[in-house]
Amino acid sequence: MTLKLGRGEFADDATLMMAIVNRTPDSFYDKGATWAEDKAFDRVDQVVDEGAQIVDIGGIKAAPGAEIDATEERRRVVGFVARLRSAYPELVISVDTWRAEVGRAVCAEGADVLNDAWGGFDPALAEVAAEYDAALVCTHTGGVTPRTRPHRVEYADVVADAIVSTVGQAERAVSLGVDPRSVLIDPAHDFGKNTWHSLELTKRLGEMIATGWPVLVSLSNKDFVGETLDLPVGERLTGTLAATAVAALHGARVYRVHEVAQTREVVDMVWSIAGRRRPAHAVRGLA
Amino acid sequence: MTRFVALVPPVPALLPGYAGLGDPLPDLRKAVLEAVTWLAERSPARLVMLGDGPDPANVARGVSVSLARRIADSLLGEAGFTGELVETLDEGDAGLLILANGSARRGERAPGHLDDRAFAYDALIEHALADGDRQTLRGLDSELGSDLMASGIGAIKQLATSAGDVVDSTALYAGDPFGVRYWVVTWECVS
Repeated sequence: MTLKLGRGEFADDATLMMAIVNRTPDSFYDKGATWAEDKAFDRVDQVVDEGAQIVDIGGIKAAPGAEIDATEERRRVVGFVARLRSAYPELVISVDTWRAEVGRAVCAEGADVLNDAWGGFDPALAEVAAEYDAALVCTHTGGVTPRTRPHRVEYADVVADAIVSTVGQAERAVSLGVDPRSVLIDPAHDFGKNTWHSLELTKRLGEMIATGWPVLVSLSNKDFVGETLDLPVGERLTGTLAATAVAALHGARVYRVHEVAQTREVVDMVWSIAGRRRPAHAVRGLA
Repeated sequence: MTRFVALVPPVPALLPGYAGLGDPLPDLRKAVLEAVTWLAERSPARLVMLGDGPDPANVARGVSVSLARRIADSLLGEAGFTGELVETLDEGDAGLLILANGSARRGERAPGHLDDRAFAYDALIEHALADGDRQTLRGLDSELGSDLMASGIGAIKQLATSAGDVVDSTALYAGDPFGVRYWVVTWECVS
């Protein structure tokens, strides 16, 4: 399906890189590297150079920690979105938030996508997407509260649960007026899940693809990679890219990543293996 | 009678099924289409194609239609030709499409690596095509051509035997971007 992400429209065979840009002092991977606004701006420059079509701005780390209220979250992201909008008129700007009031504030400044990473915790967020003709990412968390770690979470069938949850959110969003071309579903690896669940979702991602909703995957350097390979944060790129390759073979459309260039290479390679992208040029044996 | 001839190389990279995101041979493709379109306009009802038959090794691998035929069909389709394409030359035929190229052994990165004999062999053909020198083309050494991985040498010799006097020769392309010598040439002949 053609994707309409705010001002960005993308053909149905396009894969998209969504670069993570944290406006936090404490996110797990970069540990505050882009907490200073100018550093975050430099990061955007870099990922755009590397070919990212989307940046995903987050003001609150996913893990538990000091409470960040809506006022502080807005302070971290709204002005930055405005600055990016002005500097990059064409770039698709996504904001990772579960709060409708933050969503409204960033959409007013030109954000294109609301990445509802906590699975519809605030039902009004979808209404904001509809109001501003923004895109919405519908994620599966198993119904957990934002910023909680999974503890003894179990599913009879995690893939089925993810499909029911994300498709339900997607259909609700459309019923509220969100453009059907502007809805993505995301199994949300690690969110409300143990490592076994995330591996199962990766293996069976094709079942989510088969729903017809475009699928976003957020695999980058996550704990399920670390636990699987027994590697700390900072040494999970190879495992991330392996999971990325599997997701690409299934047909995931959007990749939320820290490492844009490497992911782009993997996705292009796999997309070509799958017959969905032609080689850049092919003369070997054909001259 | 007047005969029109277009000579183009049977390069698989020209087939749409092998197209990449970027075209590795834009200049060749442009010249080939120009030549084939020119030919199709002059003989819209019927064309004869001459080129190497199917490679026995490819036949053994299950591909029985010659590359020359597939290239001819593809290029003529692109040129809008809707007439008959045959592979046997009759006396009254006015349009000939020759699928041929020079050596594929023109460098260390060429498909057949480097054979120093390639340069003289290709130069001989290239000049004879440009000059309409049918005598030289009739006498081409087919065995050497085979050694040098040239294609369609038999077709060139048949052309030289039967085309008639060359009254106009136009070279649209000559080059070896991947170690294979390609020519795109059109002839107007009278007999």
